Amino acid sequence: MIKKVLIANRGEIAVRIIRACREMGIETVAVYSEADKEALHAKLADEAVCIGPASSSESYLSMDRIISATIITGADAIHPGFGFLSENSKFAELCEQCNITFIGPDSKVIAKLGNKQEARNTMVSAGVPVIPGSTEAIYDSRTGAQAAQEIGYPVIVKAALGGGGKGMRVANTPEEFEHSFQTAQKETQMAFGDNTMYIEHFVQRPRHIEFQILADKYGNVVHLGERDCSIQRNHQKMIEESPSAALSEELRKKMGEAAVKAAKAAGYQNAGTIEFLLEKNGNFYFMEMNTRIQVEHPVTEWVTGIDLIKEQIRIASGRKLPFTQEDIKLNGHAIECRINAENPAKGFRPSPGTITDMYLPGGKGIRVDSAIYSGYTIPPYYDSMVAKLIVWAKNRREAVQKMQSALGEVIIEGIDTNVDYQYEILNRPDYLSGDIDIEFIAENEEALREALQ
Amino acid sequence: MKLDNVFKKTRLSSGRKGYISLSSARPEVPEGLLRKCNKCGSAIIAEDVKNDHYICPKCGGYFRVHAYRRIEMVTDAGTFEEWDTGLATPNPLEYKGYEEKLGALRAKTGLDEAVVTGKAQIDGMEVVIGVCDGRFLMASMGEVVGEKIARAVERASKERLPVILFACSGGARMQEGIISLMQMAKTSAALKRHSDAGLLYISVLTDPTTGGVTASFAMLGDVILAEPKALIGFAGPRVIEQTIGQKLPKGFQRSEFLLEHGFIDGIVERPQMKETLAQILMLHKQGNIEAEHSDDRDDADGNTGEARDQNEGFGKLSVNNQLASGWDRVQLSRMNDRPVGSDYIRELFTDFIEFHGDRYFADDKAVIGGIALFRGMPVTVIAQAKGTNTRENIERNFGMPSPDGYRKALRLMKQAEKFHRPVICFVDTPGAFCGLEAEERGQGEAIARNIYEMSGLRVPVLSVIIGEGGSGGALAMATADEVWMLENSIYSILSPEGFATILWKDSSKAKEAADVMRLTAEDLYRMGIVEEVLAEPSPYTIENLKEVTRVLESKLERFLSRYGKMSCDELTQRRYDRFRKL
Repeated sequence: MIKKVLIANRGEIAVRIIRACREMGIETVAVYSEADKEALHAKLADEAVCIGPASSSESYLSMDRIISATIITGADAIHPGFGFLSENSKFAELCEQCNITFIGPDSKVIAKLGNKQEARNTMVSAGVPVIPGSTEAIYDSRTGAQAAQEIGYPVIVKAALGGGGKGMRVANTPEEFEHSFQTAQKETQMAFGDNTMYIEHFVQRPRHIEFQILADKYGNVVHLGERDCSIQRNHQKMIEESPSAALSEELRKKMGEAAVKAAKAAGYQNAGTIEFLLEKNGNFYFMEMNTRIQVEHPVTEWVTGIDLIKEQIRIASGRKLPFTQEDIKLNGHAIECRINAENPAKGFRPSPGTITDMYLPGGKGIRVDSAIYSGYTIPPYYDSMVAKLIVWAKNRREAVQKMQSALGEVIIEGIDTNVDYQYEILNRPDYLSGDIDIEFIAENEEALREALQ
Repeated sequence: MKLDNVFKKTRLSSGRKGYISLSSARPEVPEGLLRKCNKCGSAIIAEDVKNDHYICPKCGGYFRVHAYRRIEMVTDAGTFEEWDTGLATPNPLEYKGYEEKLGALRAKTGLDEAVVTGKAQIDGMEVVIGVCDGRFLMASMGEVVGEKIARAVERASKERLPVILFACSGGARMQEGIISLMQMAKTSAALKRHSDAGLLYISVLTDPTTGGVTASFAMLGDVILAEPKALIGFAGPRVIEQTIGQKLPKGFQRSEFLLEHGFIDGIVERPQMKETLAQILMLHKQGNIEAEHSDDRDDADGNTGEARDQNEGFGKLSVNNQLASGWDRVQLSRMNDRPVGSDYIRELFTDFIEFHGDRYFADDKAVIGGIALFRGMPVTVIAQAKGTNTRENIERNFGMPSPDGYRKALRLMKQAEKFHRPVICFVDTPGAFCGLEAEERGQGEAIARNIYEMSGLRVPVLSVIIGEGGSGGALAMATADEVWMLENSIYSILSPEGFATILWKDSSKAKEAADVMRLTAEDLYRMGIVEEVLAEPSPYTIENLKEVTRVLESKLERFLSRYGKMSCDELTQRRYDRFRKL
């Protein structure tokens, strides 16, 4: 069993991991940058090592310094948290070479799943559905129309060298195809000096549904149900919940099985997440696999009763999973709101600064994972997420009410936060009814702004 | 709220006091995974260093590179063919333990001596390459090192190939005594023959290059490059400090110091080394206009140069504004936004590579020189360089060259002569720099030497006066086959201010002076001092530079094709006559 863990991260996730370790009787080592001297994780851990200046590249991303801190403090494992080095296969490999247990999957698996094409190929051969697309480069609209027919409308025409939305056009019907293709190709030629096109099924207004899985070293893989993370702003998740209002028991089973298949195909170990896009008609497609613990893991913990961080440590220590798929039951409904130090009225500009006063809600079914305290100064160098508010109730309606109630109690003085913005999201009729997709924020932006004034 | 030591720490499960891990594999960094940078002291991942040209990712400091790795880094994969392995190292002093030491080193490094030589290709161009390996007695030069280098150079001369040597050495090898000293002469002599055969030698200095190696083959390149911050010197810094009893300044004897002092052509970052070498090789591969034109020397149009001269020479006065006074032209020639030498280089040539230093004292930034291609033909380009703003002007000393600038120009011209490249000079100077240091280093001698040597240069030489042609400072780069002027440039015995001071003891009469000095292009054309006058747009700035360079380009092409056809003797005779008749 692991005896001492170095947490190669900061903020609330570092605090979360320290707490799990402490409960397990495992000693903890925090690492911190010069800007994080007063950070909660550095104070809370049994030992703390300063690993460099404020800039992440010289501290939380500095592999050699983190490895050195591990060796010096005699820790036998590193928990990478999320972000920073958590999905860096080279870092995982370094840990392996130094006999340090990396709490996460094998470095080779991280590398494989981190490569978009390789990950897609792995899924295709495992029979996990991926977004159908043309297999060869397409140069003319006739060949393109044929491919589109096989793929199924609506389709999106993309530049092979694409990026930034340039050279992208949607065609909803065969009639529209010719025009869309020509326009996209012309744009592509202009932007990239190339006319190689690629056609893919266009997933319309999907939900972001992800499945949490746990896999031990003995080939046992279970999924812990889904999380609906459709409430996103610029691809940044804001609110996550479990279970999703969109999944029937049957669909959950189907997607869960696909997730388990995906994890097995990748040779996965430890906790991971398979992200899918879910269409209104119930079709779902593999997007990517995250090879780390995720921000929104608490909602899964609450509906399954499983402590994911502790399971990660147990799996890394070589323990067998203590449950099977049949043991996993989703109970009630959990919602998480990310609380960020940012100003929604000013384009969500980060708002670092000193928290002069603070009050956080509590009570039955309310959990706060945070790294802030009264008098704490949020440094400007890192992510603006400073806390997560998670609630649980026996159904979605009650959970939303509880979240609203809890958000209404949050007081954080001295900095700007998105708490009121979150409160208004929960007030939107579409949110209440559960009819959400990834366009939700974009579509409700105006209404939210008005509600805030 | 202060949180220091307020939280309770982890309570270990009972009985566990510290612990002994069950597995024998305790976390530790395996041998060789991490390295310590000897420059900045930080720990770095060895593989990162290997993958990035052996450069510290933290401080950018350079690690030494093993010879074979170096060859891989700068040559085309799989093209290296090693020469002269297995030469026996003698022990002329019968120095105790020397053989054992060599044996141990051979076993440890897998090298047979301190230099690896052979033939390879760089971007498809064949070269002879030699690379010192510091792991072997600090790559000191004993008999075998000298022998391998001499043999490689001799073979390169025979096969007419360029030579590239990467120096990295502590100097002569003490254990071999006087025999080591003789290697300095042996290698230098071989390189002299190589050079006399008209062949190229590029020397690359890496950390460290000292002692007898610096004082022989390392400093003899036609082109000398260095890696950044390499220690390069004759006497080692510690020896100097002990001898003179003084602390040496920071950066002393580093590449940057040598560049400033005129001993190297340039500092090249390791990732760019291969492309830089390839560019230099390419610029020397073509060339040899003599050879190219030898066939059509008695060319078909049957005209001798002189006959043509009467027909078309001195018939090209093309000016836009004949009414401007001398003083107007003086002021126009000094305009701040007038295009400067570097603008013409950029506009007229491709693949320009600048070379620095006079090899004596300094690199004068008032003169820019190097090799470039003009419509595919290598040419040596030298420009007196004014800046485009005040800061740059201060750096370039307002285009007033020091003796070091003239000596750099001459060095590059002599090199052009060796490689049969035409020389194109852009003249734009208020005059040679007038100052204490300039006199100390022989300003007069430097100018004289340039005029003297240019008059006999065995390649075509063209000078274009693009701004101010101030006195001897201009002539030192205008003793050419033809001198052309831009419409509003000037060329005179002295600045109008100086002229007024000497003759009228009043520098404020510069305006009057300008009008009597006959310093305009038009005057000079009529006096037979210049062959061509090129029209300028008005006002003339970088914006409409192309209007001038377009004309210049086609005239330049005609000049090169016409003079390129002449024999060396004809060229020098004509140049002699050109000045003889004045």
